[in-house]
Amino acid sequence: MNHDEIKSVVQEKFLSSERVTAFLCDAKVLHPEWVKKDRLLAIVEFGDEKAVFCLFTSCYPPKSFTDLSIEIVLPIDKSFKCEIDNKPSDPEAILYLNLQSRSNKYKFEIQMTPRVDNFVDDLFRGIEAVNKVPTQPDFVWLKKYTGKIDNDILTHTMALPGGVPHTQSSAPVAIRESLIKHKMSDKEYEYTFTKKFSIFCGTWNVNDKSPVIPLKDWLSVDREPPDIYAVGFQELDLSKETFLFDQTFREDEWYSAVIKYVDKRAKYVKVEKVRLVGMMLIVLIKEKHLSHVRNVVCDTVGTGIMGKMGNKGGVSIRFDLHSTSLCFVNSHLAAHVEEFERRNQDFRDICNRTRFVQPNQLPKSIKDHDQVYWLGDLNYRITELDPTTVKKLCNENSFAPVLEWDQLKQQHKLNNVFSGYTEGEINFKPTYKYDPGTDNWDSSEKNRAPAWCDRIFWKGENIVQLGYRSHPSLNISDHKPVSAIFNSSIKIIDEEKYRKVYEEVIKQLDKMENELIPQVKVDRTEIDFETVRYLELQVRTITIKNVGKLPVEFEFIKKLDETSFCKEWLIVEPYKKCICAEETCEIQLKVLINKTSACKMNAGTDKLYDILVLHLYGGKDIFITINGTYQRSCFGCSIEVLVNLNMPIKEVPVGKLIELENKRDSCVANQCTYSIPKEIWFLVDHIYLHGLKEPNLFEQPGFHSEVLQIRDWLDSGSIDPIPGSIHSVAEALLLLLESTADPIIPYNLQSVCLRASANYLQCKQIIMELPEFRKNVFLYLCEFLQEALQHSAENGLDSKTLSTLFGAIFLRDNPNQTQEPQSRINRQVIDKKKAQFVYHFLVNDHSDLIFSR
Amino acid sequence: MAREFDHLFKLLIIGDSGVGKSCLLLRFADNTFSGSYITTIGVDFKIRTLEINGERVKLQIWDTAGQERFRTITSTYYRGTHGVIVVYDVTNGESFANVKRWLHEIEQNCDVVNKVLVGNKNDCPSRKVVVTEDAQRFANQMNIPLFETSAKENINVEEMFLTITKMVLKSKLDMKERQNVTKDTVHLKNNIKTKKKCC
Repeated sequence: MNHDEIKSVVQEKFLSSERVTAFLCDAKVLHPEWVKKDRLLAIVEFGDEKAVFCLFTSCYPPKSFTDLSIEIVLPIDKSFKCEIDNKPSDPEAILYLNLQSRSNKYKFEIQMTPRVDNFVDDLFRGIEAVNKVPTQPDFVWLKKYTGKIDNDILTHTMALPGGVPHTQSSAPVAIRESLIKHKMSDKEYEYTFTKKFSIFCGTWNVNDKSPVIPLKDWLSVDREPPDIYAVGFQELDLSKETFLFDQTFREDEWYSAVIKYVDKRAKYVKVEKVRLVGMMLIVLIKEKHLSHVRNVVCDTVGTGIMGKMGNKGGVSIRFDLHSTSLCFVNSHLAAHVEEFERRNQDFRDICNRTRFVQPNQLPKSIKDHDQVYWLGDLNYRITELDPTTVKKLCNENSFAPVLEWDQLKQQHKLNNVFSGYTEGEINFKPTYKYDPGTDNWDSSEKNRAPAWCDRIFWKGENIVQLGYRSHPSLNISDHKPVSAIFNSSIKIIDEEKYRKVYEEVIKQLDKMENELIPQVKVDRTEIDFETVRYLELQVRTITIKNVGKLPVEFEFIKKLDETSFCKEWLIVEPYKKCICAEETCEIQLKVLINKTSACKMNAGTDKLYDILVLHLYGGKDIFITINGTYQRSCFGCSIEVLVNLNMPIKEVPVGKLIELENKRDSCVANQCTYSIPKEIWFLVDHIYLHGLKEPNLFEQPGFHSEVLQIRDWLDSGSIDPIPGSIHSVAEALLLLLESTADPIIPYNLQSVCLRASANYLQCKQIIMELPEFRKNVFLYLCEFLQEALQHSAENGLDSKTLSTLFGAIFLRDNPNQTQEPQSRINRQVIDKKKAQFVYHFLVNDHSDLIFSR
Repeated sequence: MAREFDHLFKLLIIGDSGVGKSCLLLRFADNTFSGSYITTIGVDFKIRTLEINGERVKLQIWDTAGQERFRTITSTYYRGTHGVIVVYDVTNGESFANVKRWLHEIEQNCDVVNKVLVGNKNDCPSRKVVVTEDAQRFANQMNIPLFETSAKENINVEEMFLTITKMVLKSKLDMKERQNVTKDTVHLKNNIKTKKKCC
């Protein structure tokens, strides 16, 4: 498919009055939400107004206009701006087109091709043109593409509120994808069910120790083995090397220990493991669930020294389990008693800076998950309460009064941290700070108050915490490990139901699309003109009503292999128009059989029958059948046929007429034939008897109604005198001579005649050789005209005028012969020669020719 | 993953006037049926999207006028068609006899195209005149799948459209495969050429 073919497909997307002047097929729209998408860019012109369209194509190259949908419409008005940049890394090949119209800005990436020049030229021509005119164009024609022309709504056809079908938009396809998404999430409850999963979360600041003790009492204490383990460590390794190079053998040590001590009653596999300096997070899942785990991504954020280093911060793992997205965060927040503001800031930094990047998707942050479990050494302390009191109360297991002074509880309450998260009730002793290897409070000189540094929070619906505890028997560190067990609802898609709902949604959208296909009602598709007579115009009207929801443009189109959409004797007005919804349009169909079509009707090569194809752009075709009976007349008959008719034509059977017409070339004189057609004789005789002295004979037109009366008189063979004035009779005579299937002097002799026109003898010679009846008619008429010229004093005729008039009739041009367009002068020369030819016979005595018969 | 569809196919419904072509389309596209007969004067289309083996197929289904006088015009709509549904009326023997003519029309106006034969109005055994065995024999002879349907009672309509769509899809995929094979061969040839030049 070449550029022009694609262009014609693009053109079809628009009305024919809206012309695609330039387009690019390899543009990409750059938009924060769309990332990079392949698009077509087109400049469309309507009258003086131009607009840039960005089109989405469902397949490339687009095969039909239905593949295309309009996404962006940017009218080139006075606010329109266009800036062009090169891609810094690739200035030769890539171009950035920044377009701005009204308040909408778009950036397009374009491959440098020769076509880009055309496109940009056209764009700037449009901008120049619009800035030359003093008034702002109104762009009414864009309404149908945008729904509204108001500033901001222009480009908002895609962002549909609530999935309501945007019936005014002609681009339902563009929004189809987002509609599907929207409708599917609306109906989620119809195809999903929930299942409870138990999730174990554990956190331990191991204070640079190796796993020298079993972890069973921490990791395997519940009645049932959990479905998921999320185990976080802090201070795995405090060595300088680890801090600087982020490498530690402890990672494997602790990972192996976890694997070794998880509940042995179930088989677990790793979902993911992530570490930043001393922070490590391990997520395990029961093997049987692994196949439902998708899109596992992890990320780390350092908030330590300089706000960047990994001595503090958070590590996270996200994944989808069935249809629920889960996120686990293990963090180690800033230390020191008084630094709770720093800790709050670290939390916010981890939230803001954690980015889960997935192919073909927008990056996700922590908050974009259905369920979040946040664990770690959060480092919040007890202030305002002296260490001795804290220790005393804690030793008595009286935690509530101490927790009143817990910085984290306080900050959480104030919504300064963990906003939207929940923490379970704390019913265990502070987990920091102990003398390693014992359950004794830190005995160092600092004498700090014990604190609940190690905590677990969660966020999400349908999560129930079943347990929240510390595990003091694991005593190698100055912290005690903490764990929580959750019972969480995971959404599961019922594939069968999903497919059903999906199909329903698709069907609904298909229905919507079908409803947007242009629809009209035509009041009748069969038009019978009944009896049609020569030169008598007949009119019928059909009414088209737009019963669809969008404006519709109709056009009568050509059938295959035909040069025109209707026969030559039919006129359709209008043959093309746009009808707004609910409005109607009347179309007039006019039939007129004139001198060019009459002979074909008589010969049976054409008949009063046609099928018109009424095409709706973007929609169906309607066939309209035209019918009628042509009442044959002597007008349009050949000379040879007329001389054979010894009765009025009305009484001649149609079959007989057609037969005569078809073998007119072999017609010879016999006792049954007239020497000239009786119709010509009637008319000439009438003028001869009653009108030779009529002023302006042959120059003043007759009355149309009288010509029709004369037609009927000739066709029906009335015994009454010929009706009408002399002028009408004279006009009927001229019409009769003009409407014969071929002229008196056959087409093939025309050029010979023109060449001979200066020479009377040669002209005479040609006439001598004419077929018998033609010669008779020619000479008869010339004799009559000579007679008429005798009375030029009264009738005002002169031989020049007459020869010009009859030259054009005797030497009629062949309408079927496609001639080169002739210059005016050439035309005049030919007309003069025709006149000259006839002139000889009007001024010379040619009785010798008559008597030579 | 924004994609509206993976394939767009044009299907055409042809057959004598009054056999129920429009009703089949209406049933398939809108799941509706109207008992009142409105003869189709022209060509109309509706769309429907199907998912076949995970691929989204958009169908543009053209319904044509069956009347004899429109035959030459409707034949111009055969161009670019991927599949044709030839319909007869099981209660009308003449419409079945005319199937041959319709198949001939397809041959005259289309390139290689997938076809199904459909005996519609198969919902009233007492009025049935085209017996299944005869139709099946003819279908076998012509190597075209036969479906007896009822647009009114919604019998076999979905299956029939699904079958022709699958046939069309298969043809397309087969063709693609063949093209890939030829492309590979061309590639090989080119490689050889360049090698020769190097020598």
